[in-house]
Amino acid sequence: MPGFLADHRWSQQHLSHYVEGDLAPRARHRLDRHARDCVDCERGVRAMRTLVYAVHGGLAGISAPATIFDRVRAAGPGGSGG
Amino acid sequence: MRPLRGKPDPASAAPDAPAATEASLLARAQAGDIGAFEQLSARYADRLFMLLLRLLGDRAEAEDVAQEVMLRAWQGITRFQSRSSYFTWLYRIAVNEANRALGKRARRPADVSIGADELQLPAPPAADPARQAENAELRRALGRALAELPPPLRTAIVLRDVEGLSTQESAEIAGVSQAAFKSRLHQARLRVRAAVGDEALVTSGG
Repeated sequence: MPGFLADHRWSQQHLSHYVEGDLAPRARHRLDRHARDCVDCERGVRAMRTLVYAVHGGLAGISAPATIFDRVRAAGPGGSGG
Repeated sequence: MRPLRGKPDPASAAPDAPAATEASLLARAQAGDIGAFEQLSARYADRLFMLLLRLLGDRAEAEDVAQEVMLRAWQGITRFQSRSSYFTWLYRIAVNEANRALGKRARRPADVSIGADELQLPAPPAADPARQAENAELRRALGRALAELPPPLRTAIVLRDVEGLSTQESAEIAGVSQAAFKSRLHQARLRVRAAVGDEALVTSGG
């Protein structure tokens, strides 16, 4: 049981590394093996994957404001304008 | 009054503008051609504005900072040496300016309000209305969680996960080593996960 708890705490801290592919093979195997027996960590892996997937992209159709080059134009070729 | 547009003024673009490469636009911009600078930078203006919107969570402030980013880029264009891509360089200026704006805001605590709506996250297609509602709720929860992150952590997750940039590009833009960037990214994800909760993520995410 102490081994399980140690693996659990370690796995919970490394879910992002796992999803990112940042774990070395041995560490990845440790988390894989633990998650097979741990409902929380198995769910944690799915939750982390969903998080990374769900935040990606968005704001389609948003355009830069028409004023974005106003200060550049005011500054002129010298760049310091005013 | 001169029409103001986010895109470059076609009248100021050279006849060969459509075929102009980034390198040729950059060379002209570095020689003092504002039209070339606008044409070059306009290629990234929408994405840059979205980045600022996500980092700042306030449209008016994002518009103000976007203008400042372009001014700083214009003022520094002769110092750009193509060691990184123009896009990476421009994004780095944007992150610096966003941090500067957030720093000013931190000294005015009452003004801190990054709206989850401004940090809009994508709506994945879902035919089932119940699932759609769950997804909408998840997006709001994620938006709130992102908004509550300290700026360095928010920058990390926005660059890597929201924008989908590589770790190398993201680290370069954030101005830190890849190891430091990854540490921030992992911290950010763990905090967002804790704030949103596995139940919401697993249920809504499918």
